[in-house]
Amino acid sequence: MRLGFKASMPIRVMFTAIAILLATPGIVFADEDRAVYVLQADGLACPFCAYGIEKQLGRIEGVATVSTDIASGTVTVTMAPGANLTERQAEEAVDRAGFTMRGFKRKATE
Amino acid sequence: MAAPQTFNTALPVAEGEFVFREQFFYRKASDDPSPADREVEVLGAISVLGYGVTGDFAAFAVLPYLDKELDLTTAGGARITRSTNGIGDARFFGRYTAYRDDAPGRTFRIAPFAGIEMPTGDDDDSDGQGRLPATLQLGSGSWDPFGGVVATYQTLDYQIDAQASYKINTEANGFEFGDEARLDASLQYRLWPRELGPGVPGFLYGVLEGNLRYRGKNEIGGIDDPDSGGTSLFLAPGLQYVTKRWIVEAIVQVPIVQDLNGDALEDDFTVRAGFRVNF
Repeated sequence: MRLGFKASMPIRVMFTAIAILLATPGIVFADEDRAVYVLQADGLACPFCAYGIEKQLGRIEGVATVSTDIASGTVTVTMAPGANLTERQAEEAVDRAGFTMRGFKRKATE
Repeated sequence: MAAPQTFNTALPVAEGEFVFREQFFYRKASDDPSPADREVEVLGAISVLGYGVTGDFAAFAVLPYLDKELDLTTAGGARITRSTNGIGDARFFGRYTAYRDDAPGRTFRIAPFAGIEMPTGDDDDSDGQGRLPATLQLGSGSWDPFGGVVATYQTLDYQIDAQASYKINTEANGFEFGDEARLDASLQYRLWPRELGPGVPGFLYGVLEGNLRYRGKNEIGGIDDPDSGGTSLFLAPGLQYVTKRWIVEAIVQVPIVQDLNGDALEDDFTVRAGFRVNF
């Protein structure tokens, strides 16, 4: 019993340390900040059309993920660490999908 | 693109992207006023590939596979069946978005289109009775241009499409199908979800489409066939489930008015079901 107690202590400390590190990614991965942009895509009114916009934006170098909220007509673009998206790039991508970009803003850094 | 099931839409195909559609159908026409008591059944699959050349211009290729069967009573009183199956006439056309008015959660577009129907289907098939009649052949044998304009108004709650089109049928093998003019309209209303949640949920649309079709008389050896052509109005209720990557849909076309010439064969109904995928 005593041996078992002694052996479990380092494991508990190790798990606690891992949990703290995972809960604070900003500290651990401070060099991997990701820029997030929110676009307003006008004309988007059905699910099938959202795919074209997401695919066009996804082709831009540095784009990590694209997600659409159809009710608000907004498209959220998350960039790879260190990458940025210009308004012109976003506008051209939305136009290639056959829609119109009206709003473009950098939301925050994730 | 959510789109009508019996005609096209003005909604875009993204640049460099493909949309594939497969539609299976079954058509029955049996209301024959003539002593031949003809009954036609057509089982088919229509494959459509759309490609976005730009955000405003899309090219489409349409290839049907048809299985056609005609039952009739001969002058001697015998009941016979004549049939054929294979690839029908392919269509190629382009569609350009000439007008686009986008706003949050809605769009209005007008897109003219033009193309050609090519004689890829067999137009010289025969059976034990001899050469099949031109209306039973898989293809017309002729190059037939067509064009029109389609308009779409789409919101998050509903979609309206309307199309006017005209097809000029030309002569082949001494036979010329009458030209065809069509007016089509479609209403799609979102039945589910009633309230939109986050992200891109699938939409279930209730669909009601109408098709007004005028066909001129066929010409055989330069002479009008009095038992061909006329005006028909079809009404078609249906359902369509639309997601980001795929669509499944089904619709039934029922004739409401059939004002046909002479002993032209009247339609009973057409059932259509299929799917579309984005890739």
